[in-house]
Amino acid sequence: MSTRLELRGLTRHHRGQHVAALNGLDLDVNAGACLALLGPSGSGKSTTLRLVAGLDQPTRGTVLLDGDDVTNTPAEQRGIAMVFQRALLFPHLSVIDNVAFAARASGMSRRDSRAASQRYLELVQLGDFADRCVADISGGQAQRVALARSLAAEPKVLLLDEPFSALDSALRADMYALLRSIRDALNPTIVLVTHDQSEAAAVAEEIAVLIDGVLEHHSDVRTAYVRPSTLAVHRLMGGLNEIPGSIASGVHRSELGSHVLPADICARDGPATLVIRQEVVRLAEPSASSITGTIESLQSAGIRQRARVRVGSSSVFVELPPQVSAAAGTVVGLQLPTDALHAISTRAGGAV
Amino acid sequence: MSSPAAEPGAWRAALWVLPALVPVATILVAGLGSALLQSLGLMPLVGAPALTIDAYRVNAGDIATSAALSVAIATAATAIGVLIGVTTALTAVAGRRWALWAGTVTVPVPHLIGAATIGLLLADSGLLARLFGLSEGGWPALVGGRWWIAVVLEYAWKESAFIALVVAAVLATRVAAYDETAAVLGASRRARLRLVTFPLIRPAVVAAATISFTYTLGSYEVALLLGRAYPEPLPVMAIRLFTSVDLATRPQAAAAAIVTAVLALLAVAGALMTLRRSAGWR
Amino acid sequence: MSRVVRAALVLWFLVPLVPILLWAFANRWPFPDLLPQQWGLDGVRSGLAAGAPHAFVVSATLGLAVAAIATPAGALAARALTSGRLPIPRVVEAVLLAPLILPAFAVALGLDVLVLRTRVPSPLAVVAVLSVAAIPYTTYLMRVAFGAYDKGFEEEARTLGASRATVLIRVQIPLLAPALSGAAFLAFLVGWTDYVVTLLIGGGRMVSVPILVASFAAGTGNSSVVAALSLAAVIPPLILLTLVARAGPRTGTST
Repeated sequence: MSTRLELRGLTRHHRGQHVAALNGLDLDVNAGACLALLGPSGSGKSTTLRLVAGLDQPTRGTVLLDGDDVTNTPAEQRGIAMVFQRALLFPHLSVIDNVAFAARASGMSRRDSRAASQRYLELVQLGDFADRCVADISGGQAQRVALARSLAAEPKVLLLDEPFSALDSALRADMYALLRSIRDALNPTIVLVTHDQSEAAAVAEEIAVLIDGVLEHHSDVRTAYVRPSTLAVHRLMGGLNEIPGSIASGVHRSELGSHVLPADICARDGPATLVIRQEVVRLAEPSASSITGTIESLQSAGIRQRARVRVGSSSVFVELPPQVSAAAGTVVGLQLPTDALHAISTRAGGAV
Repeated sequence: MSSPAAEPGAWRAALWVLPALVPVATILVAGLGSALLQSLGLMPLVGAPALTIDAYRVNAGDIATSAALSVAIATAATAIGVLIGVTTALTAVAGRRWALWAGTVTVPVPHLIGAATIGLLLADSGLLARLFGLSEGGWPALVGGRWWIAVVLEYAWKESAFIALVVAAVLATRVAAYDETAAVLGASRRARLRLVTFPLIRPAVVAAATISFTYTLGSYEVALLLGRAYPEPLPVMAIRLFTSVDLATRPQAAAAAIVTAVLALLAVAGALMTLRRSAGWR
Repeated sequence: MSRVVRAALVLWFLVPLVPILLWAFANRWPFPDLLPQQWGLDGVRSGLAAGAPHAFVVSATLGLAVAAIATPAGALAARALTSGRLPIPRVVEAVLLAPLILPAFAVALGLDVLVLRTRVPSPLAVVAVLSVAAIPYTTYLMRVAFGAYDKGFEEEARTLGASRATVLIRVQIPLLAPALSGAAFLAFLVGWTDYVVTLLIGGGRMVSVPILVASFAAGTGNSSVVAALSLAAVIPPLILLTLVARAGPRTGTST
């Protein structure tokens, strides 16, 4: 099930639309890897999946599986399975018959296809549900059956289109664990579309960010958080700190002072926004820090608190560790670890 | 699903349904009841009521022949209608809805007009005969001929549009998403039809076909215009006896009508059993 | 391949309508000519002289009366059925759908004696029977509409302060208008296209368009009159159909 997926210049204009839903996408997914395709609504993520699956035709560009051009192959012959947001289990078939569908469609007898599919049902921990009616199972169970059904087709690539967005968070955590066990067992190549960066980080090794049909970022998960390519990507990944300023000779100057940027960032001289993850910024004694400011407000983020620290006219968000408490109005010092600093060049007079 | 009628919601719902329920129940019971009573001699035009099955016995042979003919015509017409109707609905799925639109145009055409125009099309001196340049004897007797071809074709023509519209509606709502799902699971077009589309449209097809079948069974004007004098389908026989000068034939007319109604009910019973066997219902 | 199939289907549906288009305006069309020798309006004139306008009025009245009765009855019944609170819903459904499968001529045949004996005016009886015949269509169509109808719109309107009447007029009816017009159209068709019930119960005094056409079609040599009258029978509902289709699917966002 491990196949290398390559997308070259994939472009799609929906019928009658001027603006491209997807514009010149170049993307590689290694065999057995899991890539999360992230982006806001309408960014072209689902369009991409549909083009890869063969449900829609691209206006331009090619889709390659292990080097073979499948752009003109119809969906049913590509060997690419897709799980949708709604489980879409066939209402006229039982659970096991749903899972056995691909086998049945390829000509296997009903008995053989059922026998062959049982293991996939067990892989998603629903082995006892084989004879159940589709209408009698819950949403989470239905999504698992849909997953088993796609896996039973033994696809070269598995596409998941926001499959967990309709589930509650506890169920979602179960599904992430399930996906991990499936990857251990079958090692499929997976592309997961999601709008939730924490889901992307939980499930995938690589993150690709699509915004308005254009690929703005592609890297491993940690880099996507710490070294986003654009401000839009930074915001999408949940980053809150953006400090405008400028770069000269590898040093970023802003209201927060001068900061030497890490060597691995290639930033041009000129206007640039400093970004740093709020989880990484640390509070310290005002006397021991080069940056001081006042806590303007505190907001709960789960069990932690997020402090908004005012420095001059800028705000720096700091996510406080659970044991640390602070009060609004306190004067605090801020420590920005150098290796966590990142700067994104901006055009003069505007953010990206 | 029986809830205690003391609920206010139930009373209100019952009230709402009355404007439709009362007329339907009254007219069906009055009409068919009266026909039944007339056929059994219990509601004679003249004389005293006396229970008898003479009306059925006297014409038994003719009734049987007419019934067989009616069923044959209805079966043939419905079979063709289903074939063409489902095909039409399937062609409309992909987006080019010409065929479905053409079918919709025929919906407002009354059956009587349909009979008239198909008569003009298929008669010995009709448009098709002229088109093929076949003169007397060369053109088969489609109208008023031995095989009731024009009659069957008219019914099939109208029923195919009805079935196409019903099936197209089901395809558009229920089936579309499942077709894509099946495609990404590797099912070829033929497999998708066999394993997904046909099972999902089956209840709608059975329902529409049953309605078409029973309608054709009880239809009068088409057989009148395009059929031959003998044998007669049941409705033609019944109305001939009903409108004849001899009043004694009224009960026989009623008998033929009741037989038609019974055949229709049998067809529906058969359809319900077919539907019950399959899992999918509305 | 499918293009050929589609073309064949279009021909199947539309070719039978060609004769009435040609014959309606054919003054002379001897066999075996492929096209009329002489075009003209003789058929139309004969039709008018034979009482086409009166028949038109009769048919239109029938159609409108049936629509006026069957549409609200069907809508109310559909509402009751989809509310989920109706007692014995399956039985009610079966009764309401029964006119679809029971032969109309049998009902009319049996009812005729009763109508005569109770001295009910025959036009009234015809309208009643045809309304009953139309109720399954209107009920079913409105059931589908109510099924797709999102109560959320109503509830939202009420939380915005709309009274029950306002909700009815400004929310429910506009949302249901396409389905209502579709149901009314089907009911109208039942009245407009009927032959048997008008024949049996109308007592020969109600001359609707189908009855008029039949009287000419039974004879020979009347092809152009029959065709002209047939056109008159087909065009008004077709016009209505396009109007209804325009008012039709204006559904908002789909899932």
